[in-house]
Amino acid sequence: MALLEVKDLTKSFGKTEVLKGISFSLEQGKVLSIIGSSGGGKSTLLRCLNFLEFAEKGTISVNGETVYDGEKRGETSEARMRENRLHFGLVFQQFNLFPQYDVLGNITLAPTLLKRGTAEEITARAMELIKRVGLEDKAHNYPCQLSGGQQQRAAIARALALDPEILCFDEPTSALDPELTGEVLKVIRELKELDRTMIIVTHEMNFARDVSDDIIFMANGEIEEQGPPEQVFGFPKSEILKKFLKDYS
Amino acid sequence: MYSFWDVTLSLLDGFWITGKLFLLTLLFALPLGLIVCFGSMSKYKILSAPVKTIVWIIRGSPLMLQILIVYYGPGLMFGLPLLPRFSAALVTFVINYSCYFSEIYRGGIQAVPKGQYEAGQVLGMTRSQIFFRVTLLQFVKRIIPPMGNELITLVKDTALSRTIAVYEIIWAAESFQKKGLVWPLFYTAVFYLVFNGLLTILFSKAEKKLSYFN
Repeated sequence: MALLEVKDLTKSFGKTEVLKGISFSLEQGKVLSIIGSSGGGKSTLLRCLNFLEFAEKGTISVNGETVYDGEKRGETSEARMRENRLHFGLVFQQFNLFPQYDVLGNITLAPTLLKRGTAEEITARAMELIKRVGLEDKAHNYPCQLSGGQQQRAAIARALALDPEILCFDEPTSALDPELTGEVLKVIRELKELDRTMIIVTHEMNFARDVSDDIIFMANGEIEEQGPPEQVFGFPKSEILKKFLKDYS
Repeated sequence: MYSFWDVTLSLLDGFWITGKLFLLTLLFALPLGLIVCFGSMSKYKILSAPVKTIVWIIRGSPLMLQILIVYYGPGLMFGLPLLPRFSAALVTFVINYSCYFSEIYRGGIQAVPKGQYEAGQVLGMTRSQIFFRVTLLQFVKRIIPPMGNELITLVKDTALSRTIAVYEIIWAAESFQKKGLVWPLFYTAVFYLVFNGLLTILFSKAEKKLSYFN
């Protein structure tokens, strides 16, 4: 059974249909990249998975358990919703670190509030994550003292602290200077080696081709094409994808 | 003749009332401003439209006029007994300043990026955890400079309560004027300046204290 099963997700903003029935599944330990032009619905899909937007129709299941059903949205309590969203982690394009906490504080805040162990355990685990993203010497720095790449790595560590089953990235390098994207992509590559299940919305085509097991190309709110990277990048079928890839190379 | 010391004591007496008016206005207007703010930001027009209209009227008309209306209005229009002078002034200041505060609050709330709420949500925090642990301090940091400005204005605005003969420092000084002594009126400036100087120091300390983050 697939770890994540998304069925027929539909979402509109006013009269604009942003997601027109999205279905896909994702196996444990696999990396899925979602590519496509801006406005194609990629970010909205990711935000629906993290319950920052609510799809009107469709279901999201993790490990066979339905964690979201668009038609029964009103029946789910807020507490239940909070629990369900913890299957997912999200790394934002704009990092969204909490400015008044240092790097360590950013990482320990949520586990502390969710009572995921004693203060010592939480700190020890946070330090481990800080080391993993290469910020050992920045643990007590505030976000405003960090470069964009360092902030994004801290944000990744923060998302990992709750150990989500599926870690989502919403254009994690789009807000970074080109020379800083490498350090962030390296961290994501290392996570793949540790068998993290990940969904990455990105415009870094070479990276997507490299790191992904599966690629989804979205256009106009639909999955236009899907398959392993060799197929999607090597032998694109649809005209939209061919044009998209040409524009990006 | 009055000695410098006599005048100082007398003015201090008046300034005590000024200070009381200032502190009581803060005590009521700070929380009331938050309610007005939530009202004006409501997504329900039936609530936000009247609140915004009130804020417009209060901010758009002279405070001195408002003091006169609150003091004389109920008597002239409905034959009600006059409010005590100090209470009438206090009520006016509370209404007036809560409208100004509400706009400062609104600016502060809107200045905290939406991404901060979303990051908290994604990390499984409850609404109140997000409010108290994530957004509150960022909100406070952002309203400190305009609040400092507004409080200094309030200290000076209390002088307007003189129009309904509240015995504050200007009134105290003018009672010397009637006896032929003009300089006490100018001397009152020292009291305002010292008090506002202290406020300025307090606010710049608070600003410094929160300057470690953006």
